[in-house]
Amino acid sequence: MWESMTTEQNFAEKIPLFISRSNMSTELNKTGSWRFVRPIYDEKTAPCSAACPAGEDIARIEMLSSQGRYREALETILLENPFPAICGRVCFHTCETACNRSGLDEPIAIHGIERFIGDAAVRDNLTFSLERLPDNGKKICIVGAGPSGLAAAYFSTRLGYSCDVFEAGAEPGGILRWGIPRYRLPDAVVNAEVQRIKNLGVKIICNTRATQNFLEEAKDRYHAFFIGCGHGRSLKMNIPGENMALDGLDFLNRMRTEKTESLNNGTAAVIGGGNTAIDVARSLVRLGVKAILAYRRRKQDMPAFQYEVETAVKEGVKVMELFSPSSIAQDGGEYILTLQPMKPSGMETDTGRARVVPDGETTQELRVQRIFTAIGAEPSEPWQLPSKENAETVYLSHCAFMANNPPFLFGGDLTNPTKSVADAIASGKQSAIVLDTFFKKGMNAIADRLNSCLVGNGPALSMERYLDGKRSNRNPDMVSYENINVDYFSPAPRIKAESHALDKQVNPFDEIETTFTIRQVMEETRRCFNCGICNACDNCRIFCPEIAVDLQDAQRRINLDYCKGCGICVVECPRNAMALEEEV
Amino acid sequence: MTQLNIPDSEYMYSGHVGCPGCGAAIAMKFALKALGEKTIMVIPACCWGVIAGPYPQSSLKVPILQTAFATAGAAASGLKAALDMKGDTETTVVAWAGDGGTFDIGIQALSGAVERNEDFIYVCYDNEAYMNTGVQRSSATPFGARTTTTPGKGWKKNRKKNMVEILAAHRIPYAATANIAFPEDLIQKFVKARQMKGGTRFLHVFASCPTGWRIPSEMSVKIARLAVQSNIFPLYEVKDGIDYTLNYKGDRPVMDYLKIQGRFKHLNHKDIEQIQSMVDEDWKLLLRKMNHNQRG
Repeated sequence: MWESMTTEQNFAEKIPLFISRSNMSTELNKTGSWRFVRPIYDEKTAPCSAACPAGEDIARIEMLSSQGRYREALETILLENPFPAICGRVCFHTCETACNRSGLDEPIAIHGIERFIGDAAVRDNLTFSLERLPDNGKKICIVGAGPSGLAAAYFSTRLGYSCDVFEAGAEPGGILRWGIPRYRLPDAVVNAEVQRIKNLGVKIICNTRATQNFLEEAKDRYHAFFIGCGHGRSLKMNIPGENMALDGLDFLNRMRTEKTESLNNGTAAVIGGGNTAIDVARSLVRLGVKAILAYRRRKQDMPAFQYEVETAVKEGVKVMELFSPSSIAQDGGEYILTLQPMKPSGMETDTGRARVVPDGETTQELRVQRIFTAIGAEPSEPWQLPSKENAETVYLSHCAFMANNPPFLFGGDLTNPTKSVADAIASGKQSAIVLDTFFKKGMNAIADRLNSCLVGNGPALSMERYLDGKRSNRNPDMVSYENINVDYFSPAPRIKAESHALDKQVNPFDEIETTFTIRQVMEETRRCFNCGICNACDNCRIFCPEIAVDLQDAQRRINLDYCKGCGICVVECPRNAMALEEEV
Repeated sequence: MTQLNIPDSEYMYSGHVGCPGCGAAIAMKFALKALGEKTIMVIPACCWGVIAGPYPQSSLKVPILQTAFATAGAAASGLKAALDMKGDTETTVVAWAGDGGTFDIGIQALSGAVERNEDFIYVCYDNEAYMNTGVQRSSATPFGARTTTTPGKGWKKNRKKNMVEILAAHRIPYAATANIAFPEDLIQKFVKARQMKGGTRFLHVFASCPTGWRIPSEMSVKIARLAVQSNIFPLYEVKDGIDYTLNYKGDRPVMDYLKIQGRFKHLNHKDIEQIQSMVDEDWKLLLRKMNHNQRG
């Protein structure tokens, strides 16, 4: 090497270095002493998860899905909801209404992601691990295998109880089975997700109608009871000729069980504005019948979910708003439905719907081949409701509790202010938590325990929080759009699942909407802000001017020896998963 | 969300004495990720002269030659010549100077070196005033800003010197702007500059200064980003002094950038309008250059 050097290079080598040379690093200076505020990792609550009656950890589910971690996404859903494939289809997704992404463009299609995960779990038979407490020797009798009863069984079993579910129908599922048409919820989906409950060891005894006597007898065998019978009997309109109208719920039930009913064309009137009325009307359209929906208030006052109403109209259902039925008469083989026009007169303060009064004397007559009523329902037996005389009954957001011996819980549509599948799941979950707390810590502990499980400020409850999972550390503070650093997001259209046109369907009762493809899931979940939760984007570490964010075993940690508390990490966190705290 | 893709290697130590939220520290951190271990820094008087550490400490894992204010261009030329003598073709010489040492005091040595097309990278990290000596205005201080030498009603009424254009006029192989809020773009440009051996490469890096700009330290990166989003500091590259490439099109009013900074707080609506029209004018000029690449 020396030989190859030029004279110049030899000369340069020989020049001594008359210059001071540093020989240590600045790490000697613990600049953390400059700090008067300190950044912390502080995961907060996403508005979607607080709006979800089942309290699913949606921001995390979307994050896991965006990273292709579908099994973990499934496990995260199953912590709070046993029915992702069902809810991905029929839930009215309040989560999407609450979604912060609306501030930038459109909400995330959360239901579509949930459905994808639910379907993938069934299709690929994904195995999952679910925390389960050891058997505590207590048995629960659950009446009604609808969504609330099944959810109560699911959550209670996970808390160590053994559950028997008694169902009057031939198959479990309740309203999922007989109240929701196949084009919205195919049988196979219900079967697969009910199977998940059975796999936990829950016994479902069908064709067994529970009676008051049955309950008396069963008191010796069970330590607690959950009553979730739903609304079995339709309400009456109390108008002349009412007995000539067919019952909408009954019709839907027959549609599920007896294949297809033959209704040859013609026109049918459907009275009501709830989801049942819409389901009846859309089922009629599928049978080639012209459906006219008569509703006494305005279209926007309908209790049916807006999306369902819009789809019904798209499919050809005619909506007559502000018409109240006044009588039904027979004329030849046809029926004449007399309708009284109504007009709005102020607003109801509690429901936000318009109050209506008759508008003039002139009535309108509708000549149809059939009339269906779907104006609401009530429990079929009085014992299915909590006893009014019992002053000890505690009414909670999604269930009622009577601390008799043995204790009784009432849930599902019987007690829920909002009648939906997700609320029924919430009911089952709340009941499981209430009962477990009652047995372990007594009546007085229930209120506090429920509060500690709230998602954000509630009313949604989290089973993960009840079981002291990771989510227990989540700050209840809700992330708002203003808390998001939108510099990291660019507008992108919401992904829509493909829908089949009704007239192109081979079988009109086949499902209309398709499940997202994996590519659609990737695209859609990437749109999610993941409000309040760390998705390991690494911005905190990337931008730190002090090299004071350490990454070890995929965990980020602030090195307080050097952090000067500038706060850049907190502002550059796109999703508000950090906070600045004053030094004490 | 777009996940930033930033190299993991770190060539800076904690414990440096940059102010909390220092944009210049972030600039160095990113630059070294692109330049790597085989780098020698030449640092004249500037904030980084302090941040690099008092003797015998150093905040960098690469060698630094600290030199006099006006000499970054000359010292880097000499250092490169010495490496040539040693037969070291691998090490990149990087002059790392503030805006004072580039726009004002160092421009002679810089222009001389650039005219000779010396083989090094010259980086001006621009915090738009003499910050470590107490916020005195430089020719990089923007129109409208208050500094300790342009205080009160005497806020700066002159425009910021366009340094990239001066360098491009020397027809050097590569001149570009970068910004600490756009780390991927910044790192890409430094990698490009490192690989383009044989001539001078100039990088003008926008580095916010919470102390001198009177902004909250946590907003440091956010405000640097706004400079690009409002087109007051566009991201672009010039090859051989001729070929222009625009890297980002901003669409926000300059108001968004000005209103959150203490140094611009005194500006009234009319002043802001005037600044907006200056920005628009500069932006149009830049777009014209994009469209008239002479080698088309």
